[in-house]
Amino acid sequence: MGQTWRYRGKRFAIALCALACALAILVPTTAFGLTTNKATARPNEDGGSSVIGGLPTRLTWEGTVGTGEKVTSVTLMLPEGGSFDGSTTKVTVLEGLSRAKLDGEVKVEGTSLIVAFSEPATEGLLLRLEVENMHFPPDGGDVAIKGSYVNQSGEQELEESKPIKTIANTPLQALLASLDANPVVEAWNSSPFLGMFFKPQLLVTAFATLIPGWLLCLAIVCIAYPFAIILGLIFALMKISRRRLIRAIAIVYVNVLRGTPLFLQIYIMFFGLPMMNINIDNNVLGVIVIAINASAYLAEIFRAGIESIPPGQYEAASSLGMSHMMTMVNIILPQTIRRVIPTVTSDFITSYKDTSLLSSVGVMELMMFAKNLTSVSGNMTPYVAAAIFYLIVTLPLIKGVTIIEKRMARSERGGGPRPKVKAKSADAAAGGQDEMGTEPSLIEALSAPFRPASTDIAGMGGVADVQ
Amino acid sequence: MSQISRRQFLQGGTLFAGTLALTACGGGANEDATSTQVADEAAAGEGATADEAVATTDYTTVEEGKLTCISNLFFPPFESMNESTGEPEGFDIDVSKSLAEHMGLEVNWLPSQDFDTLVPTIKNGGKADVAIAGMTITDKRKEEVDMSDPYVDSNQSIVIKSGTDETAETLDDAEKVIAVQSGTTGQEWAQENLPNATIKPLSTIIEAMSGVQTGLYNAVVCDLPVSKYQIKTSYTDLEIIEEIPTGEQYGIAVSKDNPGLLEAVNSALAAMESDGSMDAIEAEWFGSAL
Repeated sequence: MGQTWRYRGKRFAIALCALACALAILVPTTAFGLTTNKATARPNEDGGSSVIGGLPTRLTWEGTVGTGEKVTSVTLMLPEGGSFDGSTTKVTVLEGLSRAKLDGEVKVEGTSLIVAFSEPATEGLLLRLEVENMHFPPDGGDVAIKGSYVNQSGEQELEESKPIKTIANTPLQALLASLDANPVVEAWNSSPFLGMFFKPQLLVTAFATLIPGWLLCLAIVCIAYPFAIILGLIFALMKISRRRLIRAIAIVYVNVLRGTPLFLQIYIMFFGLPMMNINIDNNVLGVIVIAINASAYLAEIFRAGIESIPPGQYEAASSLGMSHMMTMVNIILPQTIRRVIPTVTSDFITSYKDTSLLSSVGVMELMMFAKNLTSVSGNMTPYVAAAIFYLIVTLPLIKGVTIIEKRMARSERGGGPRPKVKAKSADAAAGGQDEMGTEPSLIEALSAPFRPASTDIAGMGGVADVQ
Repeated sequence: MSQISRRQFLQGGTLFAGTLALTACGGGANEDATSTQVADEAAAGEGATADEAVATTDYTTVEEGKLTCISNLFFPPFESMNESTGEPEGFDIDVSKSLAEHMGLEVNWLPSQDFDTLVPTIKNGGKADVAIAGMTITDKRKEEVDMSDPYVDSNQSIVIKSGTDETAETLDDAEKVIAVQSGTTGQEWAQENLPNATIKPLSTIIEAMSGVQTGLYNAVVCDLPVSKYQIKTSYTDLEIIEEIPTGEQYGIAVSKDNPGLLEAVNSALAAMESDGSMDAIEAEWFGSAL
């Protein structure tokens, strides 16, 4: 830092001042000898994009030296309440795109900052001041940077910059400040591991800022999944079709999608479709990609489920005079669905986690927010917060799968509840085709895994009723 | 029902507490390791003051006799991977080779990692000695790691697809999407100067440029030498609409726990400037010495 604006010796400066004065007599002054190009501030809201007053941030001011001007110093002024105290300033002087060999010495006096150049900045030079760790007034509001500069003919008013929007402190930011001041937190953060992965300040920030990303993840997978189930079922049925062509189509679909990484499929869809002038909203496209990908896995799960039903049941059904379609809908599929529930839930978990890959193509989901926060903080804690957000959803689901699997294993062994309407449905079947009989037995069959093994009427229906 | 779930909850809680205890132990152990290392270095430092001649070689590297470097290898012409061999190549790679040569070490490049993980990796230490990644020296980075003396100058640029008629003014709009590489000064510039636009931080500049090419994003903000090179070699249908003079300078990131290495890197960089090897590398990658 020191070398950027090192001081080059008084004698030199005096000589240049004399030269500047001599030139001042010769060159007429223009309206704005130093044009203010811009004044901007780095957003300092944790996980947000606002500039908050009263908290350290970086002010960048740029100005161009006008025709025939010799600028020896620039003074920037903040409104009442702002402060340059404790700031460090980087002075960069550019000629076009290359750095000019011109340094500045910086002096801070409360709300004003004075930069004296090692030699007068001449026509066309871009003066760039980056003031790190300065504070805007804590009340917020639009802040215009005023000031003055010194050229060959004395001190001149500086053109006012476009106002910078600042806001007053937020409750979240106040909480973070209190965490910053807490000695326990400081001790915790001094451990390299805890400070890097479990920094309390960043956990708080991350929980607040990751929520929209988390909701988007959930929305994408929840919208995509019903479509995936329908598509998956269609392809599962196609795969066990007796027609070779239909079977071939399904096999190609399933194998290509299962045999290539989802990441690649995302790239092809997100970069390929716009090239064909098909422009779909990013989030919708995300839903489509996840649905298509999941459908291939589901197709295999469903096919395996259907094929796990003993062939004797088909024979039994046909001996009752049921068509293939009727057998499928009334006999095979209800049993299949029951059997595949755990596997489908696992696949749902996978799909939910896979939404993270969409961050690479700019879908603002959980990982994207976490990555964003990590890139500005240089800390891994936002990723840990994201992991917690994933776990909030996946852990209960995993638990649910375990419970269902246990119950199913018991019912397969013969310990499960028996359908109570057995006799009735047998009557209905005897009385010819009747939809009435199948309905309750379907519900029975599907809900069996969720019901307790004992036939306790009060505990009917619900995963929560765990024994 | 509630009784049971409470028990299960408690089980879960115990497990979690156990994990915490484990991680706490891990943290402690880690700290011990670091403190001994620091002590070693302190001792070595005292040795150095006693004997000036040793001062320049007084540092440790992750691997004995090797300078282990990390970078994001999708940042041509500074760093990229050779299409046929997959070996890293580019301006920074040549700098690292020359640097290692001047330091009497062998150069060792680790696989590419995301740009925003480079500073944390160097800060934590143990994996790599230096990050040479076209990384601008900023005060924020200097809070986390030490940065070497600047070795090359850079600027920012705004890149759009030719014919889309965007300007810096039209891009500052809520409808517009600006792609940047995550954790770069380009990202900072965009957030500060295009506050109304949506900023999309991506892991590589290649993703950003491909996205602009296909119309997924409206513009990219990235380092000028990179955008110039990319437009010349691969993304010919993109154009630079604004060259933004920022006068930023690239430096090499070194862990704060390794001040000897920083010193050695700085003196090697100075030697490269004075013996002309830096000029030769610049000429090779930019056509002339900068």
